[in-house]
Amino acid sequence: MAMRRQSVVLGMLLTPVTLFLGVFFLLPLCIIAVFSFLSPGLYGGVEWSFYHWNYGRIFGWADGIIEIYEPIYLQILFRSLSFAALTVGLTLILCYPVAFWVSRLSERWRLVFMFLITLPFFSSLIVRLYAWLLILKPSGLLNTVLLSIGAISEPLEILYTPTAVVLGMVYVMVPFMFLPLYSAVDNLDRAQIEASLDLGANRLQTFLKVVLPQTLPGIMGGAVIVFIPSVGNFVVPDVLGGAKGLMIGNLVEQQFLSSRNWPFGSALSMIIMAVVLTVLLISASRARKAGGHA
Amino acid sequence: MRNPIGWAALTAFSLAFFAFIYAPLFVIIGYSFNSNPINMMIWESFTFDWYTGLLGLSDRSTDVSNRAAYVESTDLMLAALRTSLTVAMFTTTISTVIGTATAIALARYRFRGRGFYNGFMMLPMMMPDIVLGIGLLIFFVTIGMNLSILTIIIGHCTFLTSYVFIIVQARMAGLDPALEEASADLGASELTTLRKVLLPQLAPGIIGGALLAFVISMDDLVITYFVSGTGDTTLPVFIFGMIRRGVKPEINAIATLIILASVVIAALGLWLRSRKTD
Repeated sequence: MAMRRQSVVLGMLLTPVTLFLGVFFLLPLCIIAVFSFLSPGLYGGVEWSFYHWNYGRIFGWADGIIEIYEPIYLQILFRSLSFAALTVGLTLILCYPVAFWVSRLSERWRLVFMFLITLPFFSSLIVRLYAWLLILKPSGLLNTVLLSIGAISEPLEILYTPTAVVLGMVYVMVPFMFLPLYSAVDNLDRAQIEASLDLGANRLQTFLKVVLPQTLPGIMGGAVIVFIPSVGNFVVPDVLGGAKGLMIGNLVEQQFLSSRNWPFGSALSMIIMAVVLTVLLISASRARKAGGHA
Repeated sequence: MRNPIGWAALTAFSLAFFAFIYAPLFVIIGYSFNSNPINMMIWESFTFDWYTGLLGLSDRSTDVSNRAAYVESTDLMLAALRTSLTVAMFTTTISTVIGTATAIALARYRFRGRGFYNGFMMLPMMMPDIVLGIGLLIFFVTIGMNLSILTIIIGHCTFLTSYVFIIVQARMAGLDPALEEASADLGASELTTLRKVLLPQLAPGIIGGALLAFVISMDDLVITYFVSGTGDTTLPVFIFGMIRRGVKPEINAIATLIILASVVIAALGLWLRSRKTD
């Protein structure tokens, strides 16, 4: 590999990204960290004095003045984590068999279905969510159809429930799970599968001992790519969720655009960031370990 | 695997999966032609009115004040579309230049901090958009910068640079460095080699990265939502607002046009990719 040393050209190539991401990416993240330790001002601003109760309010330690603690923030954090985990699980269950199916198709059909799975990447997220609003509304398509065929006697109330939020997230995230899974399934060593079956292992054993370990990197990759945007999601719960579907992203949005408590909103964002970095570090160390064994 | 019953079940499951992905889009398209203005779920009759109304060609409402409201929202929507296109054009240009330069630097030069840059370039893509959005909002307000189309462009570039970087880097990995070595051996300067030898070979990757950046920029909702001022709004934010205020039948028509546009762009991308491998 031709590797050149430092030069003027290297400086020219690297300066733009360093300046741009340094100022508009790293600096804003640092400012969030700083703001999360400042006191909220009376009318929406901040006061430049150290204040730890932005976190205390979430995790439940006393302020000294305000002793009331609301566990609601911790509950919403756990709800966000569990919705995101549920989204990972459901997209995995949906995509795994389909990835298998697509990988076994003839070249021509494989191209067609790969195109169909990537198409949602190009179409608008908000439009796709809006479609579910139309379907799930009390007077929406689902209820209209179910009522008219007599399957139900009263309209189902799905919209503005946790079910609607998870459904919406699964719908939006499916392509992100599919692509890494597909590349893992497509690279499966079929000779090993046949050998396992020939040597007397049944289908379940072959799946558990041969197929699953080989596709594990794809599963992990998909899980990370789906989990991270799900945890901090605020658009899906905003459009499809009611009070019971509120997630931590919605709390952040409220603190910035309606309650105007920026330090508290910053503290909540720091928690989202901490979750994301933890997930990334775990997956990176797992990948390194797996690479070391191979 | 060639168990016919198992294969049939798998096929049925997979086709249901694709129906699940596409049915909602067809619901919107279907209802965009429904003339019922009160409850769009109840089919009345076929109409093009929502489309002609969007384009300002006709209006169903006879009430004058109502008509004024429709025309105003059409104007706002077209303004939002214009903002989206402007933002996407600037964002695509800036992030393509920066992302490509970074990919070349990391693939062709050995220097201290190379590993750091490789990891760091992943972060803007992985950072949840709400965190980036509020970070930029606090930053702009703190330094006293007014929220405008400029802040939207900056916000988009922060994460799209990484997307372009990834795509161009993948293309770099498949190139033969011998060509550049030959160019250098024959006396071409570093910059000439870059311009005349490396960039032409990278072109398909750069175009692919730019196309992706354009599409994602057009669709971004969350970052734009936080860093757009009261004046400029993009199409996704405009639709988001419309949905929050209550659904009007025109949304179906807008949404259908957006779906159509995205199918065209995706097909174009596929066509470009198939040409590139020839």
